[in-house]
Amino acid sequence: MKMNNEPLILIVEDDEAISSFTSAILASNNYKTVKTGKGKDAVSMAASYCPDLILLDLGLPDLDGIEVLKAVREWSNVPIVIVSARGHEREKVEALDLGADDYITKPFGTAELLARIRTEIRHSRRNQSRIGLAETKIIVNELEINYDKRRVRVRGQEIHLTPIEYKIVSLLSQYLGKVLTYEYIMKNIWGPYTNEIDSLRVNMANLRRKLEDNPAEPKYIITELGIGYRMSDAS
Amino acid sequence: MLDQDGHRPNPDTILEKIRISENKKKGRLKIFLGYAAGVGKTYSMLDDAHEKMNSGIDVLVGYIEPHTRPETMQMMDGLSTLPPMEIKYKNLLLKEFDLDAALKRKPELILVDELAHSNAPDTRNKKRYQDIEELLNAGIDVYTTVNIQHIESLNDVVQKITKVAVRETIPDYIFDEADTVEIIDFSPDELIKRFEEGKIYRATRAETALRVFFSKENLRLLREIAMRKVADRISEDNRNEKKIQEKIISTKLLVCVNASVASDRSIRWTARTAEAFHAPWVAVYVDSKAKSDEKEIQVNLDLAKRLGAETVRLNGHDVADTIAEYAKISGITNLVIGKVRKKKTIKTLFEIDLEDKLLSLLPDIEVHIIPDIPQKMYHQKNRIRITGNLYFSWSDLLKTTGILILATFLSMGLQAADIGDQNIIMVYILSVLIIARITIGHLFGITASILSVLLFNFFFTVPYYTFNAIQPGYPITFLIMFLAAFITSTLTVRIKSQMRLSVEREHRTKILYEINKKFLVTRGLENIVALTNEYITNIYDRAVVFYTQDPGQESEGFFMGSATDLDIDLLKNDDERAVAHWVFQNKKRAGSGTDTLIGATGHYIPIISQAKVLGVIGVSCTKGKLDQNNRLFLRMLGSQVAMALERQYLSDDQRKILIETEKEKSRSNLLRAISHDLRTPLTGILGASSTILESGENLDKETHDHLILNIKEDSQWLIRMVENLLSVTRINEGTMTVTKTSEVAEEVVADTISHIRKRFPERKISVKIPNELLIVPMDGTLIEQVLLNLIENAFKHSTSDSSVEVSVRKENHYAAFEVIDEGEGINEEDFPYLFESYIPNGDRSSDSSRGMGIGLSICMSIIKAHKGKLGAANRKEGGAIFWFKLPLKG
Repeated sequence: MKMNNEPLILIVEDDEAISSFTSAILASNNYKTVKTGKGKDAVSMAASYCPDLILLDLGLPDLDGIEVLKAVREWSNVPIVIVSARGHEREKVEALDLGADDYITKPFGTAELLARIRTEIRHSRRNQSRIGLAETKIIVNELEINYDKRRVRVRGQEIHLTPIEYKIVSLLSQYLGKVLTYEYIMKNIWGPYTNEIDSLRVNMANLRRKLEDNPAEPKYIITELGIGYRMSDAS
Repeated sequence: MLDQDGHRPNPDTILEKIRISENKKKGRLKIFLGYAAGVGKTYSMLDDAHEKMNSGIDVLVGYIEPHTRPETMQMMDGLSTLPPMEIKYKNLLLKEFDLDAALKRKPELILVDELAHSNAPDTRNKKRYQDIEELLNAGIDVYTTVNIQHIESLNDVVQKITKVAVRETIPDYIFDEADTVEIIDFSPDELIKRFEEGKIYRATRAETALRVFFSKENLRLLREIAMRKVADRISEDNRNEKKIQEKIISTKLLVCVNASVASDRSIRWTARTAEAFHAPWVAVYVDSKAKSDEKEIQVNLDLAKRLGAETVRLNGHDVADTIAEYAKISGITNLVIGKVRKKKTIKTLFEIDLEDKLLSLLPDIEVHIIPDIPQKMYHQKNRIRITGNLYFSWSDLLKTTGILILATFLSMGLQAADIGDQNIIMVYILSVLIIARITIGHLFGITASILSVLLFNFFFTVPYYTFNAIQPGYPITFLIMFLAAFITSTLTVRIKSQMRLSVEREHRTKILYEINKKFLVTRGLENIVALTNEYITNIYDRAVVFYTQDPGQESEGFFMGSATDLDIDLLKNDDERAVAHWVFQNKKRAGSGTDTLIGATGHYIPIISQAKVLGVIGVSCTKGKLDQNNRLFLRMLGSQVAMALERQYLSDDQRKILIETEKEKSRSNLLRAISHDLRTPLTGILGASSTILESGENLDKETHDHLILNIKEDSQWLIRMVENLLSVTRINEGTMTVTKTSEVAEEVVADTISHIRKRFPERKISVKIPNELLIVPMDGTLIEQVLLNLIENAFKHSTSDSSVEVSVRKENHYAAFEVIDEGEGINEEDFPYLFESYIPNGDRSSDSSRGMGIGLSICMSIIKAHKGKLGAANRKEGGAIFWFKLPLKG
């Protein structure tokens, strides 16, 4: 009885209507849910329930969602998905840089919500199981990245990438399906205290032209406008 | 009265309103007037203050002279006292009235002793009466004391009586405008007794001079003058009968001012007479010489102004003619001139005296002659003035010597050719003329005339090469030659100076005219300021600052340096800002070269129009103070700037109102369109949901699902609508701009397309992007909104099997975006209203098509806020094309 495999999701949302329909969707998709509308409760519930994922609305009545995020991140690596309104890019970037795993924009559809949650839970499980052994290659759709040989292929065709381009692709592929902020990518590629936003964009544009069939409608590297990039894990 | 105000419901706002509308309520001034020290002015003042305090008024002792008698000091017990400000000046510790502390403390009534006191050099105002004016302007009532001899117009009378010069004076208007004057009377005999007992001054003071002053005779006279002065005030207050006034109005006095220091006597005389008749009076100075003593004249004119005269400067070579002309025009009835008894000289022998000339020119006007007796203490200054026109320079000396040598050689040639003495004399006179023309001042002309006589005597009269002359006629020849040369030289100098004067004046007029012309075509505050600054730096070659707002309120001025004066930074420091702030507050000049805050680097003048300060101009004085001419010119420039600024503000206001109305109009239009558009889907949602709730079980599955689908679609539409409206709020109101960041065009397009694909999975859409990377400054969310709206619009107006094409490319300095459909195209009659939220003729707007009207109008405002362009056209092959362009820079 104890060990059933249904993941537990903590919904932190002050709007009753949204929180009840979210919980309904999740329940019908075999997730267990707990709900709260208050930031302070959210922090204590995160500790007592040990959820598999937290769905965190940033606009809470008593405590800023960002504060909840900081408090939880002090001791836990539980995946946190931010719920935020469109146009609040700065807020999202801040949350992501503070350790949130992904975000979803209000209003959101059912499919989108489920996809995000699936990705995050898969990620956290893999990270737990993967300790010690690194994968040698990863395949997304027709894109194949071989970490040992530092080789990238599309439809079996080898693609020539510059060292920076390869670094970017491999970084994105390690966090498949997760959005990485500009800040995070730049720090990992060029090191801290640099601002290479323009180089990043140029490299991204080149990568799109090398990897994608139609750079205007990329399949592999998706732009999250004003926030960063993510590599699609749709297979 | 204040207490009553205090009990009203919202006294603060009322007071604030009154303060704003009435330019602050002025405080009341009460003067305790005495005729000599020791009559008990301060004592009476303190006594009065006690009374006021007992009746509940907030009284503060601002400053009482420290040498006050012990009995008086006792009176200060129980009154709150402001500690004096201590100023270090040349190793002396001076105690001064702390004006700023008083203004900050803001009592209802303040006591400040000794109205005529001159402040220490580093304080803000030169004179204490200026401090008191500031207090009054701040709405504080003031009690002060003064002795009769300190009143400007009586100054010379008192001096004549007592033989003691009093340098600290107060302008008459202070006295005249005081709300109450209380004379403190005390019998002279008692006063002398007091004095001899040492009660008035402490033993350390120099007593000899004072002993002269405190003679019975003097005191009696002073007492009489004081009494009379107060009586005059009372009689003027009582004077309400019209008849007398009309008669008085017909009298108008004119006093001629010259550079002589002594003319202050005639000025004072005129002031007293004018006051007695209650007549207006004018002080006139005629500018006839080039190098007159500006300083002295200004001192005299300032004096006249302080005494209440209108001051006028006239230009003209003949003083008498000019004055007569002016007197005729302005209806002068009495003319006052000062006259110094001159010793007869050769020059004056041929000149008609000014008064004689005036008498002949103005037979109807009474002329008063006041003897001008120069005072001894000024004697030194007079001498400097006399030598004022003699300049020495080495180059002029060289020129003079050269010309004289040349003349001598020429004359030798003439003599060798045996042409004759008279021509030689002519040569010398010519040379003197030339010298006078090319040198500055009288010195070289006069020297040359003497030298030429000597040279003629030495070289060309028998016996040659000696200064002796044998022929009896020669002395006369020498004399005539000298006179001729001398007069020529003085004449030339005079013509030259006249010329320079008129050139200078013309230059000034020309510049003013030019500025005026430029101001007429200049628009925009910044341009006006820039133009003004440019002119000032060009004319004065000094750094300049222009504040259009009170620098006390954190606003920055416009600075400009000149090529040679790089002291802009000096004008930028806090002290200088404080001076400008003071000028803003007090509407008076201040800074270097004025009476207020003289320690400042700059000379600051207010730009006043209709009693409102529109700005302050400051000119750096690190190169020395501005002279009178420059200050005058600056003031004239100031009035031009005031006019230009006022015109600018008026047109700004007008434009603001226009924009405001326009905004208001579009806002109400938008609101109308939105509420109209929102109602339709809301009605749908309400209808469908209540149907399900009320008769859910009776519905078949298909209808049920259909209703739910309707609800979903309607809410989706509402969300898009709200998103559109929210996006408008990202545009800064007022400036109508957006915060731009660099975005990659293809990423924006790609993001939009992925959104569209989610929403319309079944529609065909193709995208074209350029090969090169196109980085465009924009608000990405907003541009995405524009693209979404345009694509959605394209879908709506084309069949579901047709495809829509989105493309981006670089076009010169723009990024051009296009959305092309294969639909029905745009109705010709819709073109004018395509991007407007509200269509004037009726309901066609949104009911059927559900409000793309708002969508497109929002696109328009977003693109406008990006300083881009948005347009639409029909394609030849069918369908419409919507495009917009964003600038690649800025």
